[in-house]
Amino acid sequence: MATLTHYIILSSILFGIGAIGFLSRRNALILFMSAELMLNSVNLMLVAFSYFRADVAGQVMVIFVFAVAAAEVAVGLAILITLFRHVREVDVTKFNILKW
Amino acid sequence: MDWYFWIFAVIAVSAALFTVATREALSSAMGLLTVFIAHAALYLHLHAPLVAIFQVSIYAGAILVLIVFVIMLLMAPEERAGVIQANVSFRSFGTLLGLCLIGLVAVGVKGIAVLIARRSLPAGFGDPSVLGNLLFRRYLLHFEVMSVLLLVALIGAIYLCKNRAWKHKERV
Repeated sequence: MATLTHYIILSSILFGIGAIGFLSRRNALILFMSAELMLNSVNLMLVAFSYFRADVAGQVMVIFVFAVAAAEVAVGLAILITLFRHVREVDVTKFNILKW
Repeated sequence: MDWYFWIFAVIAVSAALFTVATREALSSAMGLLTVFIAHAALYLHLHAPLVAIFQVSIYAGAILVLIVFVIMLLMAPEERAGVIQANVSFRSFGTLLGLCLIGLVAVGVKGIAVLIARRSLPAGFGDPSVLGNLLFRRYLLHFEVMSVLLLVALIGAIYLCKNRAWKHKERV
């Protein structure tokens, strides 16, 4: 029987993978995907807690997280396209105009 | 029902590793799709059918399509050239997605009885009607704030992508 501990460990592993991807990749799009991975792992944890504590509010929270993730992706990709128009690059190490 | 959790946990973790580790952005997006579907399967296991549906329609549908569009838009042709060919990573993704689908079919055929016979939960736990009641009564203000947020994000995205100042700079 999968217990809450299983789910916590699973979503922690997924969050860790997402964090590693966010920190180690240079392609801005893969950075985005890693952020989505992290958001998803948190959603999984919320739903698991909602199930094991028999409280539906966790699922409502997850639906809100979906809305925020959709907004985040829309604005983030728009920023990425705007950046790309100026720099012709999706490598985040090339976005160093603020670096002194 | 232990096997159900383990199958989808293994699929999610390996697809997440693939997403992070693969070189091509499009393969990465496909790995992410597998992660989303595995998550949806786990949500079904946790009595959250509405969240599972949203996971598939919003994440695997809308967000991933947006990401794939931007990949197609931004990636240089020489980078894109290697993506379509049937290399090893692409094949392994196929295997992964196949396993995911097999798992979904298996639970559809066999697991429903086991899913219902879980611990004592309040009646109708996770039902869309219960969730909708909560969403439109207790969390109505939050819901409306969400809609305003989405509207603002929409306007902001359109404004950012508009072609202003680009015409007279010509920095191609």
